[in-house]
Amino acid sequence: MGAKITRRALLAGGAALLARPRTLSASNEGRELFAAAYKERTGGYGVAILAGDGDIVSRLPLPDRGHDITCDPACGRFVAFARRPGLFAVVFDRRGRRAPVTIAAAKGRHFFGHGVFSSDGKLLYATENDFDRASGMIGVYDASDGFKRLGEFPTHGMDPHELLLMPDGKTLAVANGGIETHPDFGRAKLNLATMEPSLVFIDSEHGDLVEKHGLPAALHRLSIRHMAIDAAGRCWFGCQFEGPQSATPPLLGHVAQGNGVTLIEIPEDTLRSMRNYVGSVAYNAKENMIAISSPRGNRMAVVDAGTAALRHVESLTEVCGLASHGEGFVASTGDGAIVFASGAHKRYDDLVWDNHILHIG
Amino acid sequence: MMRLAVVVLAALVPSTFTLPAPARAAETDATSEMVLGAIEDAIRPAYRDFAATSARLLDDMASLCNAPGSETLAEARSAFRNAAVAWSVAEMVRFGPVREDNRLERILFWPDRRSIGLKQVQALLATKDETATNAEALSGKSVAVQGLGALEFVLFGTGAEELYSEAGFRCSYGSAIATNIAGIATALETEWTEAERVAASWTEPGPDNAAWRDDAEALGELADILIHGLELVRDVRISGFLGETPNEDRSKRALFWRSEVTVASMRANVEALANIFESAGFDGHLGPDEGWVADSIRFEFDNAISTLKAIDAPVEALVSNPESRQKLAYVRVVTSTLSNLVGRQLTGAFGLTAGFSSLDGD
Repeated sequence: MGAKITRRALLAGGAALLARPRTLSASNEGRELFAAAYKERTGGYGVAILAGDGDIVSRLPLPDRGHDITCDPACGRFVAFARRPGLFAVVFDRRGRRAPVTIAAAKGRHFFGHGVFSSDGKLLYATENDFDRASGMIGVYDASDGFKRLGEFPTHGMDPHELLLMPDGKTLAVANGGIETHPDFGRAKLNLATMEPSLVFIDSEHGDLVEKHGLPAALHRLSIRHMAIDAAGRCWFGCQFEGPQSATPPLLGHVAQGNGVTLIEIPEDTLRSMRNYVGSVAYNAKENMIAISSPRGNRMAVVDAGTAALRHVESLTEVCGLASHGEGFVASTGDGAIVFASGAHKRYDDLVWDNHILHIG
Repeated sequence: MMRLAVVVLAALVPSTFTLPAPARAAETDATSEMVLGAIEDAIRPAYRDFAATSARLLDDMASLCNAPGSETLAEARSAFRNAAVAWSVAEMVRFGPVREDNRLERILFWPDRRSIGLKQVQALLATKDETATNAEALSGKSVAVQGLGALEFVLFGTGAEELYSEAGFRCSYGSAIATNIAGIATALETEWTEAERVAASWTEPGPDNAAWRDDAEALGELADILIHGLELVRDVRISGFLGETPNEDRSKRALFWRSEVTVASMRANVEALANIFESAGFDGHLGPDEGWVADSIRFEFDNAISTLKAIDAPVEALVSNPESRQKLAYVRVVTSTLSNLVGRQLTGAFGLTAGFSSLDGD
């Protein structure tokens, strides 16, 4: 366990922890870039900006372990969220023209590691835990005013993890993982017997619940955690199962507004190789395909979004982060590798990648 | 399009990135030997003890209800403590049969952070819900009203003094809980003992195995017991009530504070982990320059166990004494050291990936 970062310390000047990123400069203009959170094997944390060949363009320090990254519509700014139960998010200017801004979690809340901007880039939404009430919340931040917290609305479930903005630009899709945790007990799961995961659609303007989709009772331990939206506007989701490992529940499904949940059948051998754990979901629009990764099973699988047929399975040690790239995907791994669809690959012996990687321009 | 996708994706993973050769690849014979050692010398005995202490608890609850009195109550309470400590050994294994049918939570629902379970138990006692005196009906109720936490409240909680003289609803409910626990305990022992069940599967990893597809996964499961167990003791059991500073302590949030086996339970947790480490014989498979890893792990386990032995007192007394409180805080530090030794050094020596990005729920 690293040194504890308190909310108070963050409020008192957490931004001072962060040097202004010198290496993010105008020379990156026009280059294809990715971002991913990392941990140095010696102990430090940060976000790396990667070029299309896997070279690290710059390293931006974080006060503790990061998780996912999101960027505004123009990708002028991107935000790294602390891994749950984290207390900070840091906003970076992609061109390095402005100093990073640290957002401290509100009192009684912590971040879950994911967030998304509104379609006009003026608001930032983050999944948060109202941990004393064991209730999922979406924190709303003013991206045009120093990321001041404007308010929050409920996710109508526990443990909201990833959230995405639907193509209509106003509906949020939220994966309520359903697992109760409380920072007093670290990452211990407090309610496995009574989990109720769901995927909800929420009106981003008023916070109203638009639709809530649960799973059949027999799958109540199937935590819905990560998502990607396809060209047809369907929200694909990947799951992590909290039941016995001898069981093989479906780990992938999709839901569209106005329709119910469809669970995708994956051939048993491939399904077993995922070890009941999907760490990331990504969509490639050019090929209309969905990729899922399992760092536990050291596998990634690619499914045709149109036919739901399995296209391809690959072994890759501790693969987790996935992002669309060209006609395939770029993957990041827990043993320091970045693997591009072009075949370019880089391995960093001094660091390991966190669960997600994002295309930032 | 199909062909293109395959070509592109095949290029995605150059051969150098497929499962690189670890420092020491887990080999079938060695893996089976370590896993079998842990099963035979640590896991099966743990479930056997839990089944035996649960059966004794069931008997003693029956005696109490037949003849309520100070002696029979003392025996039932003592039997409860023994079963709770035996469970603290067995519970370090958190996969396999215990994950079926909510068994883990039905035996012990904890932490009960919002006191949901406590309120449910109190409501049962207040309404004298007769269906709760039948073990089978009870097993279909909330997980929080049918396990050790509920029975602890029956035997030690507010109102337990009626058991000195009355064989009423409270005793019958307690008896049903004991029957329920003993039934689960027997099933767990049987399933770990029988051939063709979890033990056979775990010692024979392979592509057709439902749960463990290769040696690394089987050995990783063994290492995970230690990694998750240390995290549980530190983050849930100790930090659940021990704050960073004394004014953040919450002694009534400690597991088993009513029956006063909090420290004995934590010690049983750590001893169970040490026993699994020894029974697996990890050190016999380490290289000559890695022997220090096993020595250090053994040294730190001893530190934690001897410190816990020295501070065995009810939680309230323990945390109000600065010296013993400090020692408990020290145990918390030792578990962190052990997590590092096991999660990095030991797994590294066996070429197991530490699972940086696959911790639960991210």
